[in-house]
Amino acid sequence: MSSTDIELRDVSKVYHKDRIEIPVLDGLDLKIEPGQFVALMGPSGSGKSTLLHLIGGLDSPTSGSVRVGEAQIELMSERERTSWRSRHVGFIFQMYHLVPVLTAAQNVELPLLLFKMSASERKERVKTALEIVGLGDRTDHRPNQLSGGQEQRVAIARAIVTDPDAILADEPTGDLDSKTSEEILELLNLLNTEFGKTILMVTHDPRAANHAARILHLEKGELERDEMNSARFSPAAS
Amino acid sequence: MTITYVLMQNLKRNPLRTSLTVIAFALPMAVFVAAISFVVTLAELAAHNEEELRLGVHHKTTLTNGLPEGHRRKIEGLDPNRERLVAVCGMKWFGGRVPNEQNTLTSLAADADTFPIVYSDTSMQPEDIEAWNKDRQACVVGTTPADKYGWKVGDRLTLNSTVPPYLSLEFHVVKIISNKERANFFYFRRDYLVEALETAGASDARCNIFWVKCRNTASLRALQKDIDALFANSPDATKSEDENAFGANFTQAAGNIPGLMQAMAIVVVIIIGLVAGNTMMMSFRERMRELAVFKAIGFQSGRIFFIVISESILLALIGSLLGVLPMWGILSALPIARLVNFGPISGFTVSPVAVVGSICIALVVGVASGMWPAYRAMRLKTTDALRRVA
Repeated sequence: MSSTDIELRDVSKVYHKDRIEIPVLDGLDLKIEPGQFVALMGPSGSGKSTLLHLIGGLDSPTSGSVRVGEAQIELMSERERTSWRSRHVGFIFQMYHLVPVLTAAQNVELPLLLFKMSASERKERVKTALEIVGLGDRTDHRPNQLSGGQEQRVAIARAIVTDPDAILADEPTGDLDSKTSEEILELLNLLNTEFGKTILMVTHDPRAANHAARILHLEKGELERDEMNSARFSPAAS
Repeated sequence: MTITYVLMQNLKRNPLRTSLTVIAFALPMAVFVAAISFVVTLAELAAHNEEELRLGVHHKTTLTNGLPEGHRRKIEGLDPNRERLVAVCGMKWFGGRVPNEQNTLTSLAADADTFPIVYSDTSMQPEDIEAWNKDRQACVVGTTPADKYGWKVGDRLTLNSTVPPYLSLEFHVVKIISNKERANFFYFRRDYLVEALETAGASDARCNIFWVKCRNTASLRALQKDIDALFANSPDATKSEDENAFGANFTQAAGNIPGLMQAMAIVVVIIIGLVAGNTMMMSFRERMRELAVFKAIGFQSGRIFFIVISESILLALIGSLLGVLPMWGILSALPIARLVNFGPISGFTVSPVAVVGSICIALVVGVASGMWPAYRAMRLKTTDALRRVA
């Protein structure tokens, strides 16, 4: 079980398109405690996904510093960030992005191919991850044999199989019905409360955000509101 | 599970497209290996001919116009000390056919005394030469007709000539030639033919061609000029050619066959390159988001490049093997030499060089066609690719 703290200082991100500068984040300061479940809300274009990508090491800031645990993202090369991601961050996407020709177990095993690990150890880890997400009996099913909610569970298992410090979820319930969404959010809660994972979740849905202990509102690249959710308590918050 | 397993599974992603791409590789590569085998066969023949240092001397107008047999003495007289010339062998076309068969054998009557010297590549042993010299009906047969008609040393056989006066002659097999360059040929003694023609009242001691065995390439070139100069302005002026030029008259009678084959092979390679490149680009575009996720979960750019290009190489390899190996089997199993019963290009076989070369070329095409998609995948900006779906 591992978790990590996240700290952003004066972070700005500017994209360039056709020689036009598009500022997305502007002087953002943020600190997330280890084991905290944080929801990130805001209108489209407010910089939610960009912030998630910076924390996940998929991109580096134009200025400012992003620290995730011991890692100083802006100082790392792309190769270093890629290597770091494989060990410290798990990603969950709205559209799951499973490999259709692989079984659930094989999809979950994919990130482990980057580790020096015996086949039996990999198999054990995959089994554990699938059991955590409640799909221990669906290991040999291909994505097209699973429901949307089950596919997202496989994607979550893929995100946690390497035992990352933080889980970054980009609209994880955006493509699911309300009942399935609730199940997925409960699963994220479980990962947060039982396994102590730091979770940062981008969402447009206030009901989904209500599962988080802390809700951040971004507006035009700036942190407009930062509020604790009294309905939930995460280990760090309690 | 390994990356190789993932690659193999990826090929199952769109079975129809994979099958069509594999077929698009297999069929042209099958044609390619046959075409290159043909070219390689001609190249090997040319190399063999160059080593043999034989000069063909025939009538300047056409091969069917005979030359007087006295030309042989005159040619030999150009080099009485045998410093440039080894021997001269006169030959006459017989056009023999096995009774009740349609195919005409490449059958030639050759001067008995010099044939084993000029055609030393028939590998006649002293006992073969002795049998050849002793028996006027002796014949030396290539493996193709020998296999086809089941002839072996010691057999007696009859051939009917397809040229006037349509003689029917009996022969005695003294040697089966294993040399593949001579696999289609049937040689017998010219004195036997001359005698038979006299008996039939159609005396004709003229030769269609004199083969002059030379000491070296320089001698061959010098004799070529000297012989043609010797008979210039006579009723029987000659045209001398080395064996390759002579063979080329046959093989290129219907156009520049090797050139056409090579051009076709190049076109084939370009076409499969375009087909494979298009397939790989489609495959890459479809999987751009998936590859972005691979990067997000920690696959390095180099590994992404490897995955995409390996898939292209794998497709090329499977396609080429499915085309080349069956074609190799078919061409090896079929009696191609009989189908291509055409003197100078006898002994056609599938060249291992063509097989290995074809597979190597397919691999190069696989690399080339996968290079751009693999490069794009490697350079793929994860955030941009993910944003398109988020």
